[in-house]
Amino acid sequence: MNDFQMAWRNIWRNRRRTLITAASVFFAVFFALIMRSVQLGSYDRMFKNVIESYSGYIQVQQKDYFDEPVLDNSFELDQGLLDLIASDPNVKAVVPRLESFALAAAGSSTQGVVVMGIDPQGEKEVSEVHNRLVRFKLTDEAIKALMNETLPERTKKLLKIFKNEAYTGTGRLMLDMGLSEKDTSDVLPVFRKYASFSNYYLEEEDSMSVIIGDGLSDYLGLSIGDTIVLIGQGYHGVSAAGKYTIRGIAKIPSPDIDNIVVYMPVNTARKLYGAHGLSTSAVIMMNNTDEKSLVATAGRLAEVIPESLVLRSWKELNALMVNQMDADNKSGMIMIGILYLVIAFGVFGTVLMMLAERRREFAVLISIGMQKHKLAGVVAFELLLIGLMGVMAGVIASLPVVIYGNINPLRFKGQMASMWEDYGFEPIMPTLMPDAYYLWQTVVVLIILSIAIFFSIRKIYKLNVIQSIKA
Amino acid sequence: MKVIEIKDVNKIYNSTEIKVHAVNGVSLDFDQGEFAAIVGPSGSGKTTLLNLLGGLDLPTSGKILIDGEDLSKLKSSQLIDFRLRNIGFVFQSYNLIPVLTAEENVGFIMALQKIDRKEREERTWSLLKAVGLGDRLNSRPAKLSGGQQQRVAVARALASRPKFVLADEPTANLDSKAAKTLLEIMEKLNREEKITFIFSTHDPRVVKMARRVITLEDGKVISDEVKKQSNDPENG
Repeated sequence: MNDFQMAWRNIWRNRRRTLITAASVFFAVFFALIMRSVQLGSYDRMFKNVIESYSGYIQVQQKDYFDEPVLDNSFELDQGLLDLIASDPNVKAVVPRLESFALAAAGSSTQGVVVMGIDPQGEKEVSEVHNRLVRFKLTDEAIKALMNETLPERTKKLLKIFKNEAYTGTGRLMLDMGLSEKDTSDVLPVFRKYASFSNYYLEEEDSMSVIIGDGLSDYLGLSIGDTIVLIGQGYHGVSAAGKYTIRGIAKIPSPDIDNIVVYMPVNTARKLYGAHGLSTSAVIMMNNTDEKSLVATAGRLAEVIPESLVLRSWKELNALMVNQMDADNKSGMIMIGILYLVIAFGVFGTVLMMLAERRREFAVLISIGMQKHKLAGVVAFELLLIGLMGVMAGVIASLPVVIYGNINPLRFKGQMASMWEDYGFEPIMPTLMPDAYYLWQTVVVLIILSIAIFFSIRKIYKLNVIQSIKA
Repeated sequence: MKVIEIKDVNKIYNSTEIKVHAVNGVSLDFDQGEFAAIVGPSGSGKTTLLNLLGGLDLPTSGKILIDGEDLSKLKSSQLIDFRLRNIGFVFQSYNLIPVLTAEENVGFIMALQKIDRKEREERTWSLLKAVGLGDRLNSRPAKLSGGQQQRVAVARALASRPKFVLADEPTANLDSKAAKTLLEIMEKLNREEKITFIFSTHDPRVVKMARRVITLEDGKVISDEVKKQSNDPENG
């Protein structure tokens, strides 16, 4: 009989205790993995949203632009440089942008705005502006017409609550109107008839058209076809002023941006600011987006761009969000730490009971000639087996939940969904596919087990054989 | 031929308030093939002396030599190895390993000695047969009676071919029939295989059977009597 066989038989001496201990490890690992996968999955989605709707994975900027984001720190971005960047095997798309500030006016109302000069076609590869155009709007006229139609009573009540609300798709509209999927075929045509919103995306040749945020359109009282006036300071202090027709209204999830953003073709923005051929950034999207590939791509790109330019990673560009997520991540880790502390006490309780119960047996084994290191090895095997049973069961049980949660993320509805959207987040909670964090949970449990094993070994080495035989 | 030499051994326990002289200037020799009982009232030092002989405890002063090897010169791990190769133990409460069968309990000692499997199986079989348990090879301790467990313990003690066997009150937990059977087995093994047995006991049946009786009182040897009579417990 070898040490492993003896350990295996020993753990089944007290079947119930072994199962309870393994179960405590199982539940801790299972819940820790689910919690961690939801947390990391949410971060992953949020970062992807920001990266893929605004910042890109890497931006090329003039050296001083990051610290002082003004037009004077823009740079000449010719087609040659764009082609050079695009030739990197990991670069999916690269688009120029020119961003600056202006005062927007309509009638007697004014508002400070961010003007974003974008490449309308190229930007489709980067941001979601074309998918954020408002499709439905509950204007006074639309609500009045809808009230005369055959709609569920609760929908009619909700119409008043959501007055002036804009929708980029039918999903959120149905939710806000308290409609289920079965109502869709009856009710949606009615909304299409009265609340549809004609909207158009930017076209490069239409140089005097813009898209504005829904919040900004509400504030300035502007709609499609209206004119917005922009006044600001251009490149090297030239005066910037222009009149533009509103071609589209976009609903941007972040209210901070939604209330102030004006999108226009990049060449139109260059004309407005007198910044011909200039850009404030070149936004780069990647094929492989893992950290290793990003670092490698950045390394290659750093060698081809002029010395006056620098590369900024998405982490630098979204430092505030990264820090917020980091703080949230730490609080999540504290929660998981508490979970593990609880199982650590559970495991130690078992170890203490086991050591007390088998004290005499250990003393007898040492008396008849079993070396302490061999005895310690058997006990270590026992604890390792119990721990690994719990860890493996926890990992196996969590896998289908995590994979399902990634493919079918938990989707918030109603008020909760609105709240998430108001904060600029998609109202979904996806899990992150099994990754290095799985390994870390196992490592943490193994560390707890190692401490318990070390404690047991120390007890065995310090065992008083004579007193223990009498015990 | 002397197997054990005890030379002026003292064992003093220093508790917080009082000093206990558990073994007081004991000098004894044991030859190969002895069947000896150490007797005396509770607290006379029987078990302490047995612990010293077994290398489970070290004397405060004096020497214990086993085949000329001074136990006090050995390190903890060397002492464990020395016990494995030279001393067999039989405990009052049997102390078999509960997760192992009778066969495995006996074979366990030989596995520790790294004896090959075939030899181990043969010796285990012959020892369990010798103690009358040839048909209970696969029984775990919980399925055996007290007497049967103690017989397995005797077989286990003999498995390593020790120089001597120390038995601390081996019959204390057994009924008279089981005790008689156990004593007969041990006496037979002693007689036929010249295995040295040293008992600490209160049991008059063991005393009657022993060929040498050492009486302790307050840690001192007050008599050391070598008997010449028959070993049959029925006739004692």
